[in-house]
Amino acid sequence: MTPALLGNLSVSLALAFSLLGLALALLAYFQGDGRFLRGARTLVPLAFLGALAAFLALEWALLTHDFSLAYVARNHSTKDPLWVTLVTPWAALEGSLLLWGLLQTLYTLLASKKALDPWRASLVLAVLYGIQVFFFGVMATIASPFEILASPPQDGVGPNPLLQNHWMMAVHPVLMYLGFVGLSVPYAYAVAAMAVRRYQTWVEETRWWTLVAWGFLTAGKVAGMWWSYEVLGWGGYWAWDPVENASFVPWLLATAFLHTALVQQTRGGFKAWNFAFVTLAFAATVLGTFLTRSGVLQSVHAFAEGPVGPAFLGFFLLATGLGLGLLSRVSREVRDAAAFRPFSREGALLLGAFFFAGWALVVVLGTFYPLLVEAFAGAKVSVGAPFFNQLSAPLGAGILLLMGVGPLLPWRRAREEALRNLYLLLGVLVLGTLLGLLRGYTPGASLALGLFLYNLAAVLLLAREGVLGRVRAGLSPWGFLENRRRVGSLVVHFAVALMGLAIAFSQTYRLESEKTLYRGEAWEVAGLRLTFQGVRALDEGRRFAVEALLKTDRFGEVRPRLHFYPQMNAPLPAPKVVYTPGNDYYFLLMDFDREKGEWASVRLILTPLVFWMWVAGGLMVLGTLYSLWPAGRPKEVKGVSPA
Amino acid sequence: MKGKYLLGILVVLGALGYMIFGGLGQNLVYFLTPSEYLQDQAKYQHRPVRLGGLVKPGSVRYDKDLLELRFVLTDGVAEVPVLHKGTPPGMFKEGQGVVVEGRFEGGVFQGRNLLVKHSESYRPPQAGWTPEDVRKLIEEAK
Repeated sequence: MTPALLGNLSVSLALAFSLLGLALALLAYFQGDGRFLRGARTLVPLAFLGALAAFLALEWALLTHDFSLAYVARNHSTKDPLWVTLVTPWAALEGSLLLWGLLQTLYTLLASKKALDPWRASLVLAVLYGIQVFFFGVMATIASPFEILASPPQDGVGPNPLLQNHWMMAVHPVLMYLGFVGLSVPYAYAVAAMAVRRYQTWVEETRWWTLVAWGFLTAGKVAGMWWSYEVLGWGGYWAWDPVENASFVPWLLATAFLHTALVQQTRGGFKAWNFAFVTLAFAATVLGTFLTRSGVLQSVHAFAEGPVGPAFLGFFLLATGLGLGLLSRVSREVRDAAAFRPFSREGALLLGAFFFAGWALVVVLGTFYPLLVEAFAGAKVSVGAPFFNQLSAPLGAGILLLMGVGPLLPWRRAREEALRNLYLLLGVLVLGTLLGLLRGYTPGASLALGLFLYNLAAVLLLAREGVLGRVRAGLSPWGFLENRRRVGSLVVHFAVALMGLAIAFSQTYRLESEKTLYRGEAWEVAGLRLTFQGVRALDEGRRFAVEALLKTDRFGEVRPRLHFYPQMNAPLPAPKVVYTPGNDYYFLLMDFDREKGEWASVRLILTPLVFWMWVAGGLMVLGTLYSLWPAGRPKEVKGVSPA
Repeated sequence: MKGKYLLGILVVLGALGYMIFGGLGQNLVYFLTPSEYLQDQAKYQHRPVRLGGLVKPGSVRYDKDLLELRFVLTDGVAEVPVLHKGTPPGMFKEGQGVVVEGRFEGGVFQGRNLLVKHSESYRPPQAGWTPEDVRKLIEEAK
């Protein structure tokens, strides 16, 4: 038995089980026969085991340096440290597909455990099996992780050095895939709901899945931003690169869906919107993969291109067509339970969802526009970051505005006490913005400060309302913490406001300075005094490192580096970041005297509040986790009868 | 009632559409070769452009104390002088394909960002290369 044999066999088995499962699930639906459904359910763990075996086979091949596999030869080297080897399965396209397939079977396994009525269960399984068929089909044909090389090399080149430079890159892809794949479950439920014409309960049944997927997407995005900041050496965390956009769009649409789903859950409204948003959110994950893997757009993430573009485009069209096609067929029947007034919580939620969806539209247009221009006008253009920034600023501000008032508005229609709260909040917003202007911040940054304080006030008001409500009812105020959904959403909302503030300030104020220093020379910059004490070279086996020794008066010795990898012609900068609550000090070694080490060119980038971006990202994930935590969860009263 | 919502949605979509297409027009960054620039110089003055070509051998001057990199970008037919503030990137060398992001200020291209285009199949250009060949080489390089 070789890894290749085990791998190919396992992929084929996973594909066969998925195909058979799809057939049985469809039979169960069309024949209305429970025996087929039982059969389809039985195959779920088998497909999972097949995928798991294939994944382990790839790890086995990597750990035993089996360079007869093309994937191992291209992405592995005997010099790689163990942790790099273990995460190499998702360093390139074929392995990433395998990880995606494995996670898909895992989600299918978890989803199939939930008791469902046989009609919808068969369709949910059919959709999930269909997705599995696509992934394992692609792996079995055009992008096999277990392709054999006729003449294996002695040693490989190892994964892209950019991926080895920071441990975050080991985590980021897995988090993203867990998020992407997680959206497949609500999508499958939505398709089943539309097919069997039961439009209400699927949202409640998939709330957990949507939140889980959203939490992973958020964690994945923040991890990716952090990686970009700490590894790419340009001192930024977001470049509106197509790859970033590709994963931002599903996040935006999933966020829109989370908010309108809340209305359907509690008030039975916005059913058609929910079908549309969940379809688009899932389709966007596939579209994103098409964008990043097909090489249609030029991008810094050029290490992951392959022949799978057309396959993903076809799958995207199929997934979108299925969801929206079903919706157009049933849209006449989809009735909302309650009449809708704009000035109410549901009104704010819908408007917020429009902002998120509009933002997604902006990002998609900006990302695809160069393709259109190239196709129709023949000119090679790119859409600059200013376009995205100009449109994102008002959309983001609108979202922050709605986020504060929305949860304070009552359902159905706003009443007197709600209006009082509104005036209070608006006062905070105006005062906060004025405070910013008085301190000499730009109008944009001042507004961001106002919006942050306004959201902070809104969160405090909501918490106060919750606690007072319990006290009035003679209950312990601490019991408010058991309302996990409410508390979790407050934490996430606060974190979003904090992130908005951090983004506004770090984008507005940024100081960048570069200088060539000779040994012993001191440089006064940004309130810092640093002295260059020389360079030092280190041989680290898989790479060669050069570090500049910089003595600073505030942070002791700082050593930014350049890493020389044998598989790369150019050195990779390894910046040294010193986080402080106010500013980030980002030290980069740009160039050095290769003969005597007498001089070095050093760059310092000073960015405010970046530290709080990572805090906010952590809080968003923690808040989501708190909402999802099962222990001590109060029994929710199912107020809405199934439609 | 329905009409009012429809109107509201149309207004929002209209505003969004206006912002998107207005913004796109202003923020399009053209990718040019030196010959394309020389054909229509006025059009590309003072606006962001991505200029692609090869570093002309013998033209590179780098002052590490001022952190000023000067070189001439060529596509075999036309040439443009480039001034880039900052250190040359690792793979920067004569004859290499590069893309410079920046603006034309007068006759000199002021680079803000310098990207080296390197491909496995890269060959130094032979005599008789056309700007189109250079452009392809740069677009296909990673």
